[in-house]
Amino acid sequence: MRLGVELGGLRLKNPLVAASGTFGYGVEYEGILDLSLLGGIVSKGLYLESRDGCPVPRIVETPSGLLNAIGLQGVGIRAFVKDVLPRLARYDTAVIVNVCGDTVEEYAEVARIADAPGVAALEVNISCPNVKKGGIAFGGDPRMTHDVVSAVRKATRLPVIPKLSPNVADVTVFARVCEEAGADALSCTNTLLGLAIDVERRVPRLAFGTGGLSGPAIRPVALRMAWQAARAVRIPVIGIGGITSTEDALEFLVAGCRAVQVGTANFVDPGIYARILAGFESYLQRHHLESIGEVVGSLRFPDGEAPGGPGA
Amino acid sequence: MPATSAHRPPVNRDVPLVGRQPLDGPYVLLTFRHPEVAAGARPGQFVMIKANTVSDPILRRPFSVMRVDPGEGTFTLFLKIVGPGSHALAELRTGEEAGCLGPLGQPFTAPPEGHEAVFVAGGYGIAPFVLFGEELGRARRRARAFYGGRTAADLQLCDAFDGLGVPLACATDDGSFGHRGRVTEAVAAHLDTRPGPVTLYGCGPDAMLRAVARLSEKRGVPAQVSLDPWMGCGLGTCLGCVVRIRRAGEARPKYRCACTEGPVFDARDVVWP
Repeated sequence: MRLGVELGGLRLKNPLVAASGTFGYGVEYEGILDLSLLGGIVSKGLYLESRDGCPVPRIVETPSGLLNAIGLQGVGIRAFVKDVLPRLARYDTAVIVNVCGDTVEEYAEVARIADAPGVAALEVNISCPNVKKGGIAFGGDPRMTHDVVSAVRKATRLPVIPKLSPNVADVTVFARVCEEAGADALSCTNTLLGLAIDVERRVPRLAFGTGGLSGPAIRPVALRMAWQAARAVRIPVIGIGGITSTEDALEFLVAGCRAVQVGTANFVDPGIYARILAGFESYLQRHHLESIGEVVGSLRFPDGEAPGGPGA
Repeated sequence: MPATSAHRPPVNRDVPLVGRQPLDGPYVLLTFRHPEVAAGARPGQFVMIKANTVSDPILRRPFSVMRVDPGEGTFTLFLKIVGPGSHALAELRTGEEAGCLGPLGQPFTAPPEGHEAVFVAGGYGIAPFVLFGEELGRARRRARAFYGGRTAADLQLCDAFDGLGVPLACATDDGSFGHRGRVTEAVAAHLDTRPGPVTLYGCGPDAMLRAVARLSEKRGVPAQVSLDPWMGCGLGTCLGCVVRIRRAGEARPKYRCACTEGPVFDARDVVWP
């Protein structure tokens, strides 16, 4: 398996995973692309119950980016397990459930229900910037991060993958806290908190006010954070942030991520997985490598020293 | 006319531009090769499309399918250049490709037997009615179009229904062409003539669609409206294009994706902002 990777007990046929909130529940793409191409699919964030999400407008484009405040509209974990999981079972891809909660107890309960046949791992959403409770309220505080990750850890035997927030001063603090709390891997990173203003009306362009920025606009920031996180912990890191091409994905792998998630690019071109996978193959050939794993963490600094800065 | 539930799954392709017809002002007709859209697009359905040469803006844009040629495997869009996305599409040269997913969304439903279909189009909202008019014309169904804009230059497709047996009446805010005033005033005047049973179909700016919905309610005639909120993906995954819809029997409105559950909705069900 030239493209296969292993992340803390989670085996992926290739390192390309669809990011939460950008791929629905996977089934929306049935018939448009072969879901078995993907290493994995992370579901839209799921709470115990269904949620309405934020008022509109919810999305706005900014230079090379997308600012969103969807607010985790979703069907709830029970409906996902009952209605969606059976449909995903026919595809050869890892199904990862994105676990949300307003309270530590809710995270644990969602995790318990999500620990169902057909689910390969749980991603813990402690970084959504668009909800008033939960989300970043947990991911922005090391103690709360520890409590949520420990609670989910106790609730499941599946691999637990906290999704870190970039909206913190030092991502390595949170990476280490998650590792100590029993996480098997890390997803890095969620959207960057942003704001866009309609100057004619002098109001925010999103109804929620602020939103989460994604897309190529955030890639260098996300890459730097994923690199820092990967150096700070022993558990594997899944890199996320503005990946739109093979080269973008390789940047994260070279930086030390063992897998990557594709997010905003799903909205732009569902053909992206086939394109990146073909690009991986030709990269391996061109560089005479046996497997994609050899690329992971292969970043070199010409002076032999990594640059300084937090977490370096 | 095929049942609306039978529409085909969307196909994602890089599509070459095969034809380009500039109109006056910021308007242009673009024809792309996409066999599945050409064969399967129903009136009111749309494509998500973006010039492949462009990475900013990043998202594709939704456009109603205006015309199809299944024999040639092509479809045509009616474009108004309003921002960077439409500008980049309009700049494509023949042979250059765009990324395109379609056909998408729920189409208009044909009127009940014996009804006259009354199209109410605002500006580039005329596009889906060209396809609809051709289809109803072929089926020898009665249809009539009302086409409104701010000024005469906004009414670029006045000849689109020629030969289809679809009478066209125009309206402009400034009176430069047709009825002076709102297009929905002209529709109301038509309803005043007691034309028999009609079904209204609206596509255009929100204010016009609301007026169509009010007319539908006041006159007790059914209406379908095609909503045009900002869309991210076209597949119901980004949840950016939701609109508040309250269907019969529902206790409260629900956010529904305009891209998958619409863009065409029963006007009675729309909870206007």
